Amino acid sequence: MSDTSAQESLAESGARRIEWAARSMPVLRSISERLQQSGSLTGLRIGVGLVLEPKTANLALALKNAGAQVSVFCSGRSTDQATADALTAAGLRVFAEEGAGDDRDEELAREYLGTSPDILLDDGAELIRLAHREFPERVEQMLGAAEETTSGVRPLRAMHADGALRIPVIAVNDAQTKYLFDNVYGTGQSCVMTLLDVTNLQLAGRIVVVVGYGWVGKGVAKHAAALGARVVVTELDPINALQAIHDGYRVRSLAEAAPEAEVVFAATGIAGAVTAAHVERMPDGVILATAGGGAFELPMTMLDALNARTLVRPGVTEYTMPSGRTVLVISEGDCLNCTDGEGNPIEVMDLSLSLQALAAELIATEARHWAPGLYPVSRELENAVAIARITHEGATLEPMTAELAAAIRSW
Amino acid sequence: MNPTESATVVRDASTVGDPVVGRAQIEWVRRHSPVLDGFVRERIGDGSLNGVTIAVVVHLEAKTAFLATVLADAGATVIVAGSNPRTTRGDVVEALRDRGLTVVSEPGGDYESWERELLAAADHTPDYVIDDGAELTMRMGKHRPELYARLKGVSEETTTGTVRLHALQAAGKLPFAALTANDARCKHLFDNKFGTGQTTLQAVLRLTNRQIAGAVVAIVGYGFVGRGIAQYAKAMGARTSVIEIDPVRALEAHMDGHTVGAARDLLPDATIAITATGGMRAIGERDLPFLRDDVVLANAGHHDLEVDVDAIQAASTSQFTPREGVATYRIGERDIHVLTGGALVNIAGGSGHPVEIMDLTFAVQGIGVHYLVTAGLEPGVHVIPAALDDAIAAAKLASLGVVLDGIRPEQGDDATAWIEGVAAR
Repeated sequence: MSDTSAQESLAESGARRIEWAARSMPVLRSISERLQQSGSLTGLRIGVGLVLEPKTANLALALKNAGAQVSVFCSGRSTDQATADALTAAGLRVFAEEGAGDDRDEELAREYLGTSPDILLDDGAELIRLAHREFPERVEQMLGAAEETTSGVRPLRAMHADGALRIPVIAVNDAQTKYLFDNVYGTGQSCVMTLLDVTNLQLAGRIVVVVGYGWVGKGVAKHAAALGARVVVTELDPINALQAIHDGYRVRSLAEAAPEAEVVFAATGIAGAVTAAHVERMPDGVILATAGGGAFELPMTMLDALNARTLVRPGVTEYTMPSGRTVLVISEGDCLNCTDGEGNPIEVMDLSLSLQALAAELIATEARHWAPGLYPVSRELENAVAIARITHEGATLEPMTAELAAAIRSW
Repeated sequence: MNPTESATVVRDASTVGDPVVGRAQIEWVRRHSPVLDGFVRERIGDGSLNGVTIAVVVHLEAKTAFLATVLADAGATVIVAGSNPRTTRGDVVEALRDRGLTVVSEPGGDYESWERELLAAADHTPDYVIDDGAELTMRMGKHRPELYARLKGVSEETTTGTVRLHALQAAGKLPFAALTANDARCKHLFDNKFGTGQTTLQAVLRLTNRQIAGAVVAIVGYGFVGRGIAQYAKAMGARTSVIEIDPVRALEAHMDGHTVGAARDLLPDATIAITATGGMRAIGERDLPFLRDDVVLANAGHHDLEVDVDAIQAASTSQFTPREGVATYRIGERDIHVLTGGALVNIAGGSGHPVEIMDLTFAVQGIGVHYLVTAGLEPGVHVIPAALDDAIAAAKLASLGVVLDGIRPEQGDDATAWIEGVAAR
């Protein structure tokens, strides 16, 4: 009895937080309303396999309200149980248990694919790959999928090159209304602010090394500099490096920047971006964190092999090198904004998740005629999301006049 | 009175902290506090604090605890009490007790137990008090007049406490020397601006999961706290506006690139409004019609009523809690969100000031109390000498490896050289 009431209250608190996120998701709301009118998703089975928390819950609910049968899968590591309970209470099928281990996660993933989804909305392409491996006959029945991340798009391209991809997949990550905002303002803000929350320190005056000046690196550098940090950027790519110089940052190789680094953000998405040799050159007490990617960017193997780790405060692990120098690693090297924060801010996820909803609609209405492969989000859909947000902000676009149109065409 | 008699606080086993955790927290503070751990230790360890009893009455968490241990290491007998019943951390309390310091506060207390704790601190007969809001000083004056009369000095942390000390002096009731730490440049130029500025935005963003880029942030009050919030918010991509009554400060805000004006003109655009005035009702009943739907209100000033939560409550038809730390009031068709009940958002909804900032602030306090002990000041309100303020900043810079230029003789100008030619009377 008391169990039931505890569960109810968890679902209730989840519902309240979903509702809070909904307030700042006007674009998804407008898409949801249109989809309810159009009925283009009615009766379709859609599987949502994103991080399970209040913002993505709004996408799942929007699809359900549009008439789809929605199942949700998420690994135990990334599941917020209150949100999961709230979605169950709202009539969605949820295959996620907070804290579940790898074995249980795999069981849940198979059960989820057992619902025979027509459309998969995936994060990291884990479910698309599992379906191809273990449920080829179900894959044949699928209309298509959409993929949220850079790290998921890469293996899908490889699959397609090998002729193994059996369905069309829309690469949501590659849409401008995703990476120009989500990666820069969302991940940039939340990673920098989580570092401050976890450490109780300042960035003002500190030398912050940003490894990689892609979209996430640009956002991290911008927010760190705004809070008073002196930013040094390291890059492989000469054009990104030149951009960093024009944005007012010093650019150095990591080996050169290491001796003065006080905080290092790895923002490359590439394994081994920061090596043991780099860390050897860093000063005592240096702070290492990963923004956007994962612990594979840091030399965790070397650090863990030291067998000299202490949890100095929640989210901060101290490693002592043989020389006696210490290295502080945030969130054990995992992307800190999800591990020790609440992920990206709501407004930016409104853009990214709206693209997912539009991708689902496109697959539902068009993809029957598409060959397997990777498809970009069209300029038209990118613009639709931007225009919805601009309108909500009360901003106005310059009208295209005949004169301007003529001037643009002139040569 | 025997101190043990008045210390009637009952220890609740469920809230007793873990000294190992507390020690780790204090150690984290130490490693990021080079000024306290170096310059201050050296300066106050000259023996002059031997046998001196100092009461430290500040929010009782790891940063305060480190200050207390530095004073104890210099030979002082240190009595520690929290300056607010809700901010006392059990782990830190136990770690201090383990080190042999006297702590009169317990975690999980209320305002009643807090009154008893402060009197218990008084009954340990401190010679000097490091105070926050003059809370212990006022109570000693009122409830322990004989102990108040033998107080040798007070070093006060806040603007509010400074006002109270000046009032005591004006009434002829300040029989000892008092230092106002807030007036030191190493305090207000950093603590108020960068410390409160950063941590206020941290707390607002964490409590709401909202985005700063593209937000419209109205800041009410452009003192040091308001300046810090506005600077950081703008730099992170917010559009900032400043509501200020002082024309000089308003002009400064204008030239800093913020939109300046009256509440009725600026609040309707704001998606986030933050008060930083130090007064009451900076956003009051009069302003409610100007607030837009879904606005987030937060307070970074001293008073819980800078955002007039009572007026908002009275005007609302319903209220609910969408997330922890957020209260939503429905006024007509609009939802108004108030963070942490209007209490200081960075303390009530965050982890307080950054360690490096408190290193400077507490250096002012540590050096200040040493100055009180050694300088033989007359009764009255004083500020630490500029030379000590400079020495603290120099110590911080030295810890960063920064070397400054000195002035060279040829840099002096000749603006007064003509005086030699003026005939003497």
